[in-house]
Parts: sequence; structure tokens; C-alpha cells
Amino acid sequence: MFLSSSNSIKLSQLTGHIQHELENVFAKQTFWVIADVTNHTYKSQSNYHYFELVEKDSGSSRITAKIAGRAWGNASLNILNFENDTGQKFRNDINVLIQVSVQYSSAFGMHLNLLDIDTNYSLGLFEQQRKQNLERLVKENPAFIRKVGEQYITRNNSISFNRVIQKLAIVSSETSAGYLDFKHTLDTNPYGYHFEIDNYFTLVQGEVNAAQILAKMVDAFNSNSKYDALIIIRGGGAQIDFLIFDNYDLSRAVAKFPIPVITGIGHQKNETIVDLMANTATKTPTKAAEFIIAHNRLFEESILSTQKMMLIKTLQLLTNQKERLSQLKNATCNSTKDLLHKYERNILNLSGSVLTNPRIILSNKEKDLTNIIISLRSFNKSYFNNQRGQIAHFLSLAKMMSPQNILNKGFAIVKANDKILSKSNDIQEGDELTVIFSETEIKTIVQSKSAYNEREFDL
Amino acid sequence: MKENLTYETAYRELTKIAYDIENESVSVDVLAEKVKRASILIGYCQAKLRSTETEVNKIIKQMESNG
Repeated sequence: MFLSSSNSIKLSQLTGHIQHELENVFAKQTFWVIADVTNHTYKSQSNYHYFELVEKDSGSSRITAKIAGRAWGNASLNILNFENDTGQKFRNDINVLIQVSVQYSSAFGMHLNLLDIDTNYSLGLFEQQRKQNLERLVKENPAFIRKVGEQYITRNNSISFNRVIQKLAIVSSETSAGYLDFKHTLDTNPYGYHFEIDNYFTLVQGEVNAAQILAKMVDAFNSNSKYDALIIIRGGGAQIDFLIFDNYDLSRAVAKFPIPVITGIGHQKNETIVDLMANTATKTPTKAAEFIIAHNRLFEESILSTQKMMLIKTLQLLTNQKERLSQLKNATCNSTKDLLHKYERNILNLSGSVLTNPRIILSNKEKDLTNIIISLRSFNKSYFNNQRGQIAHFLSLAKMMSPQNILNKGFAIVKANDKILSKSNDIQEGDELTVIFSETEIKTIVQSKSAYNEREFDL
Repeated sequence: MKENLTYETAYRELTKIAYDIENESVSVDVLAEKVKRASILIGYCQAKLRSTETEVNKIIKQMESNG
């Protein structure tokens, strides 16, 4: 069959008809839809955004809906505000809640006009992602991440700093103002502390660079340098720039890292996950440097106060010893003198008694002697008289007993062989005896011998 | 004879002598000897203190000039 041109209509007639029908349904209506952005381009001259909106199957990521979109004029301003508020660039692969109207034009076909974009939805998405990452960190890494109350206890934030933080590994972007702030603060510290700094430069924004930061941390660890701390620095920026610090792998690595991590990530809102996992989180690179200086200053102050205390104690000790020594010296001198005096007194007492006692003894003895002499004198005479009497008595006795006297009294001495006989036992008849009288001697011969019992001489 | 004195031993001995003399348990025979010993010990301790003090002051001065 051949259709005549009279049976056909112009394309524009058809599209006009479609446009008319669509306008009947969609005109003056707006819709809030959730979609992902793809194929985004931006013409800055015209301030036009061109993009496609897609919806993916949550399981397979297969595209289940797709439609062109654009924004200009007031809508482009809304997008700019959105970017400023969230820090999130309007770009591919972001999930957004947008207000759209349906438009069909004959020349350009069907598309959605973006009218507004919801900031809170996107912020909520970041927050939700952050929350999920935190939960997953705690759940999957019980060995080095625990949640206690609202605090996260990690291996890294359980490490104590060395007394002095001096050897530093810095993970930062080489050109960032934050790095310069940090360096400047360290270099101009008022105490003249010296720092050894190794730089591990990398990009520190865009979530795709998390792996690079992680690699730099591994480098620092493998360098075998004895770092006192690893410092992650990033200056200020939009919130989206810090999404890298909510990255699961990076956060996990910080939590597990054996060198204390100090963060100086310049953001004003809530802390990043890396901040929560790190040993010490500061709000800006400058504050990170100030923290390190303050930490070292604390150590120096403790040394200085120890030194001061030591000096004071030393001087006290010396003074005390001096005092005690001089006390001892005085005590020794005084008690020596006392003791000497005491000994002296003792000696004086002793010598006193030694001096007086002999005198008494001597005078007593003298008295005794005198008495004896007196006695001797008085007894002398009678003694001699007595003796004389006795001698006279003995004399008369002797006279009385003298042989001459006895002979005179009529006794005679009988001798035999010139020996005086007092017994007659040996005398035999016929023996010659000599009888001596007082004036005469007679020689005689024994005629007889007989016993004689008369006792007339026995007085 | 060079004695192996330390401040501590010297001071202890000195204290003992002082105590003994004060308690009159030193006989005259050894009193002079003890007092002489005490004076040696006092001299030693004083010298030690003085040299320590000089040393300490030197160190303090050094510390202060370093700080």
C-alpha cells in the first residue's frame, strides 16, 4: 500500500500533539524524585547543567529507569548553593533528591527540568554512610576497635605517646596551606624544640585517594624509622573533601596503626571517622602542631620542676648537714669538757680522800703507839721487880739445890768408875765405890746388896 | 695511712663518739684519742660538705646558664 502524502502529517505536528498531551498531564506539576546523576556536563558560559538521571536496581545495579535532565538559571543557582552547603560537587554518581518538572519539546525531546536539589538529603546520605562505616568498623574489628559509650577505643588511641614527640611522619598534600601552617607552627615554636620530619606527600581529598593515604602510612611504618607520631594533615575545605577520612579502609588502618596518629584535619563540623580512630584528633593542622609542642613542653616543665626540686633539696640537705655537723661539733666539745670536768671532780674527790684518810690512819696508829709506850713504861718496873723476885727465888732454889749444900745436909755422892750413881742396878758385891762427903772422899768396897723399902726421904 | 672514709661512715662514727662522750662512756684513757678522732672526722665532714657545696653551686650555675 502506498500512502499518499495527504495521509501523513509532519513530525512537528506529531511532536506538537505529544507536547500538548503531556502538558495536559504534567504542566504546572512538580515532583520530588530520588535518582543518580550520570553523563553530567556543565557549560559555564550559559550556566547550563546537562545530565541524565538513572535509577538502578539495588541488587544488580541494572538501570531500571533513565531520563535526560537539565538545569539552568535559578536551578543552576540552587545547585551552586547545594555544592557550597554540602561540599558535594554536582557530578556523576551522586545520589540526589531533586525537584523536577517534566518537559517535552519538539526539538529536544523529553527531559526533566531540575528545579531544586535537597541539601539535607545528601548530607543525610553522607551521615548514613559514615554511620554504616563506623558500625562496620566496630563489628568487623573487635581486636582493635571497641565502642564504649560514645567513645571508640582503638589500638591506636590506647597507645601512650613517648615523653617527647620529636620524630614525625607527616601525611599531607605537599602544596596544602594546612601543611605549611603545621610546619610553620613547629618551626617557630617559642621553646626552640627541634623536630625531625619525614614527609609522606599524597593527595588528601577525594575518596578515591584513601588508598594512597593508606599506602603512605604503610611506607611510614615500613621505613623502620622510630616515629614518635604520624600526623595526618589537611587544611580547610568543603565537607565533601573530608569524606576521604570517613573511608572504611583508611579508618581501619588508623585504628590498627602501631604509631600514635595525630590528625589535624581542618573541618568545623562533626569529626571524621579517622579522627575517632586516631590517638589524638585536633581541629586544624596548626592545632596539631600546638598539641605536639604542648606535649613536649609538658615534658620539659616536668624536667625543669624536677631540676628545681632537686636543687632545693640539695641545698636543704647541705644546710641540714652543716647544721647537724656543727651541732655535733659543739656537742662533742661541750660534753668532752663536761666529761673532763667530771673526771677532774672525781679525781679531786679521790685525792681528797687519799690525802685525809692516811692522816687519820697515821694519827690513830700514833695514838696506839703512844698507848703502848705508856703501858710499856708503867708495866716496866713491876715487871723487873717480878723478874728480880723470880730470879732471887731461882737463885735460892739453885743454892738450895747445889751439891755442896746437899752434901752439907748429910747426903753423900756415890761414884763408880768416876760416874755418879743414882741407881744401884749395876753394882755388884766387891765393886769399888767412891763416896764423896762435903769435905771428904772415901773409897770403899761393896760388902752386900739388898732392897731398901723405907720411905723416910719421900716428901 | 689513707683512710677509706665516706661522709656517711665518718658522720656515723662521729655521732657515735658524740653520743658516747655525752653518755660518759668514754674512759679518760681514750678520751683524748676519741676527741682527736672526732675532730678529724668533723674536719673531714666539713671539707666534704664544702667541696660538695662548691661542686653543686658550679653545677647549678651551669644549669642556669644552659636553661
